[in-house]
Amino acid sequence: MNRSRFSAATFTAVFCVAYIVVFALDLPLFRYWPLNGDWTWGRATLQDAGPAMAWYGLMANAGIVALVAAFVVPDRFATRLLGNRLWLFPMAAMAACVFLLRQFFA
Amino acid sequence: MTIFLLVLHGLVGVALLGALTHQSVSLLRGRAARGLAFLDRYAGARDRTFTTAIVVLFVVELALGAFIYPAYRLGVRIPFEEMSLGWAIGVFELKEHFAGLALAVLPYYARTWKAELAETLRVDRLVITLILAFVVWWDFLVGHVLNNIRGLE
Repeated sequence: MNRSRFSAATFTAVFCVAYIVVFALDLPLFRYWPLNGDWTWGRATLQDAGPAMAWYGLMANAGIVALVAAFVVPDRFATRLLGNRLWLFPMAAMAACVFLLRQFFA
Repeated sequence: MTIFLLVLHGLVGVALLGALTHQSVSLLRGRAARGLAFLDRYAGARDRTFTTAIVVLFVVELALGAFIYPAYRLGVRIPFEEMSLGWAIGVFELKEHFAGLALAVLPYYARTWKAELAETLRVDRLVITLILAFVVWWDFLVGHVLNNIRGLE
């Protein structure tokens, strides 16, 4: 009997997809404003608070989605479906990051 | 404190780089190397034993990076913007996103290195290990170059 219901394959695949979606649509769970150490939910902004950091919130959002999926989708199913092709997810997600950040290299 | 954590971040990065490169070279050689040549000895390490160390080092490395990230955002990125160094901001953004994605790959990476799945997930194990090695090398080199342009204070 499998001791854990956590599916590593599902977690990795769903995280990669969710991360690109929240990154492309700018949907962090929260933002951190390092100048004064403030936090805000979602895309809320603060006046005169300096630059915001969304990365922690993007990680949290994608992580929550992936965690839920990893406990819902059985590992056997995910491995059978994606086994030996799962590397495509991080590879595609990294390529998508390059595309989404292309304005920095223009 | 920030400088201490940055140095620690660099040192953990070196250890991670070494472990992942060892494992990747060993994997690419594809067979147990028994010769006395440097590459044979380098690739002859028991690659499976690196997996736990790599997972732990990666998590520690990412945690350290996340902790000092605000100092970069305020003390380095703003000067980069003032210097119109868009490419430097861009490569750091890639470093951050690649590291986040690599963190998510770790559970599956660890799974592909389990002895009973070695043959079943052979392709995933090879490519995902190489992706992790690429990310760690990228992040290390980008961090090093950007720190040379403008270091944390």
